[in-house]
Amino acid sequence: MIFSEWNGAYYNAVAGILKAAADHPVTKEEMRRIIDEQAFSESILSIEPSLSGGKWQLLKEDGTAAVRYPPTMPLTLLMKRWLKSISLDPRIRLFDFHVSGLEEIPPLFTKDDIYIFDQYADGDPYEDPLYTENFHRILEAVRNHSPLSLEVMNRRNNRTRMNVMPEYLEYSEKDDKFRLFTSGCRYGSVVNLSRIISCRPFHGDCSGYRQRPPATSGKRVVIELLDERNTLERVMLHFAHFEKEAERIDEKHYRVTIRYSRDDETEMVIRILSFGPFIRVTEPAGFVNLIKKRLRMQKSCELQ
Amino acid sequence: MREFYVYGFRSREEFTQKSARSYDDEHRRIGSWLGDYMEFRQTSEGKNVFLSIDSRLLCHNPLYQAWKAKSFTAGDVTLHFLIFDILHVPENALSLNEITDEIDIRLRDVKNPKTYDSSTVRKKLNEYVKAGLLCTEKQGRALLYSRAPMTELDCADALDFFTETAPCGVIGSFLLDKTGVHDEHFAFKHHYITQALDSDILCMLFDAVREKRMIAVKTINNRKEETETGWIVPLRIFISVQSGRQYLMAYVPEIKKTGSFRLDYILSVRCGNVCEAFDEYRELLDRMQKHLWGVSTQGARGRIEHVEFTVRYGDGEEYIPLRLEREKRCGRVERLDAHTSRFSADVYDAGEMVPWIRTFICRIESICFSDKKLEEQFKQDIESMYRLYGVDGGDAK
Repeated sequence: MIFSEWNGAYYNAVAGILKAAADHPVTKEEMRRIIDEQAFSESILSIEPSLSGGKWQLLKEDGTAAVRYPPTMPLTLLMKRWLKSISLDPRIRLFDFHVSGLEEIPPLFTKDDIYIFDQYADGDPYEDPLYTENFHRILEAVRNHSPLSLEVMNRRNNRTRMNVMPEYLEYSEKDDKFRLFTSGCRYGSVVNLSRIISCRPFHGDCSGYRQRPPATSGKRVVIELLDERNTLERVMLHFAHFEKEAERIDEKHYRVTIRYSRDDETEMVIRILSFGPFIRVTEPAGFVNLIKKRLRMQKSCELQ
Repeated sequence: MREFYVYGFRSREEFTQKSARSYDDEHRRIGSWLGDYMEFRQTSEGKNVFLSIDSRLLCHNPLYQAWKAKSFTAGDVTLHFLIFDILHVPENALSLNEITDEIDIRLRDVKNPKTYDSSTVRKKLNEYVKAGLLCTEKQGRALLYSRAPMTELDCADALDFFTETAPCGVIGSFLLDKTGVHDEHFAFKHHYITQALDSDILCMLFDAVREKRMIAVKTINNRKEETETGWIVPLRIFISVQSGRQYLMAYVPEIKKTGSFRLDYILSVRCGNVCEAFDEYRELLDRMQKHLWGVSTQGARGRIEHVEFTVRYGDGEEYIPLRLEREKRCGRVERLDAHTSRFSADVYDAGEMVPWIRTFICRIESICFSDKKLEEQFKQDIESMYRLYGVDGGDAK
């Protein structure tokens, strides 16, 4: 059962408070700090008075715990079944995964139970030992904030070497690819992991070209849509993962402002084209021109 | 929550047509869970509240919070921590009476201690046994309870990753809550987060699929007007990583057809008997998948529709045939010459392919659908786009 109180934020906060109270008498301030860290903004209104006032009989009057040991809870069967399922995923070999006691546990789902029908076919090679070895080294370097020297196959299929400070890994489910975001290299800050031929620790200085990873929401596009053939729902779901704002113009028309990364402009253009005549870009003029350019090129194809 | 996140243009007045109280309750609840992402806008129709989240900036899905807010009684929370304190190691195996006595001992020093009767404690213990948190063993006539063995969990990076990418990722989020604070090293692009809201339905469907059971599903139609209940055989979950939608593919005995059910339209699931023909229906779905572009099985009993189109590309545009190859799904790609490729597919519902084909606008040289009405519609839509942007020489709308 997913929706149960023992998985909830309130129980986690109470466990945090009892852990402290098993060690020393807790004050109201300490309780509030723990609640603030582990539960919701309005949880303070109920957890602290319920514990202090004795409604939840877990603290003695002096602020020490009625329990004798710091609280712990075994994993539920559902948690173990989910862990078993991810242990069967080919991507698990990218990670150090040490979980005991799953041998006899049936999985919650297997690869036969799910089918991702629109994922790109050229995903990263998770079965390739070279790829997994590189992945482990990179993740270790991200964890330790240690510079790396990467040998990479560039877009022109030439080998190139770059020394970088790895910042974090980004995964796209649509592309089924990992990208490494880096700083410290003049040749760019994002590297597809599948293009990395080798990587090793770098002992030099990577601070010369320190830069922040590219802003994800540097640009915006405004579209107006006509809610026919269920377009409103399709658009709102399709662009749901962006920061966006929607407003109704009239009964059938809506205006949506979407913020996106400048690196993804081409992708944004074709995603908007996929909606055909049911959405129209109104701003900015530069984006409108990108659409017009494609339409003019299409017209020149003289599709009969 | 979905209304606030996915749409976000409805004012309180529109919600209040149903119930002012439910709007205010929902607003307050979401504000408490997701206050950092809530935004407001004043319009002529009233105040709009919406959730604006760029999921690429998040390490974890904030909508998982919805599953961490189950209400409980004072007795629930008190007994929970006392029981696991009494059974603090798996070696402690105690009977119901012993546990009840230990509860009384621990409550001796609290203000106005309550007494919990055996039946209340037994109910709670059985709940935990069912969830796998406690084990039982018979000793003579007594039933002894002990905690399930503790699981070593050393995999924070794997949990960070699969919590966002595996089905029912909210379970990983529960596990992460127990592992404590750690540095996070992953971000996620093209990451749809609303699936989190269907986690319980998905979990029940997986249970039914694993046990090969029939289920009674109650669904609502897309206009949220009518509900329907029927018995089906759940076969597989289809996931779209380009729209965030999840579907159940199931065999419907009543109409002898395999069809799709959107998970966010499923209101409830009730498990029934084991379906003897499960393997047969799943093999049928395996065969059908060769002709499925998405999830539509429309036409599966009749003829299969043929679609083909050619695209042109210039020197230095080698990424176009590569795009066709990686996005072709059940289709085929042929290189006709150095600058032209042909894509073709035989599918149950060619209409599902239209949005994808439109992404090649600017280079489509020819297109042919066996469904001539659909072909005409496709071409008319392109003409409409020319007019919409003033590309045919006229003014843009």
